[in-house]
Amino acid sequence: MTLPYQCLAACTRPVSDGHEWLLFGATGSELVAQSSSGIVSTWTPESAILAESDREDAQEGPPAKRAKLTPVAEPKPNLSHLKVTKDGTYLVAVTAEDKCIRVFQIGDQCRLEQLSQRCMAKRPSSITLTADDSIILCADKFGDVYSLPLLSSPEDEQAVIPEPKEDQKKFEPSASVLTVHSGRNRKALEEQLKQAQKGPKQVKDTPKFKHQLIIGHVSMLTDVVCATIGSRSYILTADRDEHIRVSRGLPQAHIIDGFCQGHEEFVSRLCFTKSGRLVSGGGDPYLYLWDWLSYHLEEKLPLQELIFGHYKGHPYHTGAAEFKVAVSGIWAVPDSAQEILVACEGIPALVSFKLGSSSRTGKVLPLNGNVLDLAFIASDAGGAIAAISIDHVHHPGSTQEVRQEPGASRLQCLSNYNSGEWEDDKTLTGSLERFSRPMPNEERESGIASEADRGKADNKAKALRDLLYGVENLRKRPGAED
Amino acid sequence: MAAEPPKRQKREEYKRSLAADDGALPKKKFFRQRAHANPFSDHALTYPKSPAEMDWASVYPAFAVKKPAQGEDVKEIDESRADGQAAHKEEQKKTRAITKDVEIADIGCGFGGLLFALSTTFPDTLSLVTEYVQEKIRALRSQNAENQAYQNIGCLRANTMKFLPNFFRKHQLRAIFLCFPDPHFKQRKHKARIVSSPLCSEYAYVMKPGGYVYTITDVRDLHEWMVGHFAGHASWARVEGSELAEGEVGQCVATMSTETEEGKKVTRNNGQKFIAVFRRVEDPAWLGEEHGQT
Ligand SMILES: C[S@@+](CC[C@H](N)C(=O)[O-])C[C@H]1O[C@@H](n2cnc3c(N)ncnc32)[C@H](O)[C@@H]1O
Repeated sequence: MTLPYQCLAACTRPVSDGHEWLLFGATGSELVAQSSSGIVSTWTPESAILAESDREDAQEGPPAKRAKLTPVAEPKPNLSHLKVTKDGTYLVAVTAEDKCIRVFQIGDQCRLEQLSQRCMAKRPSSITLTADDSIILCADKFGDVYSLPLLSSPEDEQAVIPEPKEDQKKFEPSASVLTVHSGRNRKALEEQLKQAQKGPKQVKDTPKFKHQLIIGHVSMLTDVVCATIGSRSYILTADRDEHIRVSRGLPQAHIIDGFCQGHEEFVSRLCFTKSGRLVSGGGDPYLYLWDWLSYHLEEKLPLQELIFGHYKGHPYHTGAAEFKVAVSGIWAVPDSAQEILVACEGIPALVSFKLGSSSRTGKVLPLNGNVLDLAFIASDAGGAIAAISIDHVHHPGSTQEVRQEPGASRLQCLSNYNSGEWEDDKTLTGSLERFSRPMPNEERESGIASEADRGKADNKAKALRDLLYGVENLRKRPGAED
Repeated sequence: MAAEPPKRQKREEYKRSLAADDGALPKKKFFRQRAHANPFSDHALTYPKSPAEMDWASVYPAFAVKKPAQGEDVKEIDESRADGQAAHKEEQKKTRAITKDVEIADIGCGFGGLLFALSTTFPDTLSLVTEYVQEKIRALRSQNAENQAYQNIGCLRANTMKFLPNFFRKHQLRAIFLCFPDPHFKQRKHKARIVSSPLCSEYAYVMKPGGYVYTITDVRDLHEWMVGHFAGHASWARVEGSELAEGEVGQCVATMSTETEEGKKVTRNNGQKFIAVFRRVEDPAWLGEEHGQT
């Protein structure tokens, strides 16, 4: 089965006779690149590469988990994030299961050469690059943000400063029987002493490359973005507990400048408009528009109501009471000071908001299937072209039901240069035909299902759902534990 | 389900009787200290969206801006008007506000021994966790109704590791106590500790420059951990030498050593107490703005 593109990225770069654009798509564990000249190349993680991350994982879990991870025939990890440097020289990709950040040089003919792969201790949930594209910021599911140089120099590799706090000295109990008073602490101490007799504790495998903890929440991080205003730089982080935190940029990221407070559900996406305002979305029925430098909530833009109104009567549409939106993407339209496009999980449409105008109601732009990701391609005609990854597997409007009619395209392109309104762009859809049509080797194992799952269609379907639709799961359910 | 265990039944009965009698002091044995709260899950706890929306008036009724007792004049609010909602919000904020800011927080107060001691020493203290404390505050307030004592202390149940900035504004506090925090011995659980470098950033956010964090523990390892993280964080400087014994710092250090329940236990057992105090230093100028700033 050909998988949809779970993420997209694009860039423009100079060539001898002007400019070319490049579009990157991640489909399962495969990375596909195409340039405007029509050249296509693909990349998949080598199985040898996985050996290392296996070892890493094995150190972490309890013995039972370790055993489960040992089989050699590990599935290839799925790509979860893509980011291109502004000059179109490097592509940063994250593979989910092995928690690896991979940096590629984008060569001629769209060739991708992997320069480094750095496996993090926790699974990355968002990545971004600093304004000068020299540093990767990686936010993880544990609530931490790490900074890593985009390109690691040989010195960096040598100068691995082990984090002092994790360093295990000769074992000394943390307390003595004399100093521990409560029953529960005494039990913990006994445990500790028992552990000590078994020999030194395994030192947890901290990554062996230069990386620095710069920000942390005690909540799962969902997004990290950078901003520069005048001479000041900022890092904004969003979490599952409704927080949007504004910290100073590096090297002062330990200073929290403030919080944009007001969300009542998880925040999943942050986006700056071209004019510098902040738009945030998540599990709330509204998008929030912020004058973020003063932490002032300017406006709440109705999103759920709009989408619900548009899809009334749709077969996969639940009743008003249960209908909830989960924002999976917000993009600022290039060459427009105020327009943003918004995607919600399992919705076969984008919503456009023109934030400058007096009427800030959004406009629903129906599409051929659920929106998975979007990347803007610079058009020669001026204006923007949006390449949109479409879920061609699931029925439009559903994250569960599989489509009956085959042959739907994995990509749809919209442009706004003709009338200022978004319309299907057949030209680009045509030139991206190779990119969007199913892979030549239809039967090839896609890497989404693990060895044990092979043939178990149900598990495969679930694995695909998990890969494509993770945002609604951030919603807290009453009584549920993390 | 089986019948309630007798112990729990007694506890419930006891609480009911307490509720009926405002002035009765609660007995500690009927309350449990929450064992090792899980800082990652507590979804059930409520918290305000922001400090501005916090209902402080219900915690410190004597300091309420708008006293509900004096013939409440409920304004008619036209919700259908565009500004109706905003007006309602403003009104709500007023009824929730108090006349002075909370400035001292005892995080993980346990049975609240420190809080009651601080009540007489300092005007405002806010403490977190344990219903026992809430009951005791109620009893003491009603016993001291004529002299208005104990109006300046309050108690909230909250997971401070996640939601401190929901309760306190930037630079609001002048003192934070971290007394005998749960040690979370296992290395796997270190992220559950109440001190980490990211949390030092959060404590710095709610703390005025010049304010202090006070830590005390009987676990050497944890002490070193806390010192390592605060002293290694650019927003904090360790307070040492004679300064520890002087003025408000000296008062706070002495009170937390003797008045916390854990502190008393350690004294009874002839255990060791490790104390450390850290001052919130001024934030440096933004990068590139070092000159031309005073
Ligand atoms: C060992 S007791 C110390 C009690 C008191 N400070 C004393 O010295 O007597 C630790 C306290 O920290 C509280 N605690 C643990 N994690 C917390 C968190 N994330 N937020 C607020 N309180 C927490 C526990 O509920 C418990 O009451």
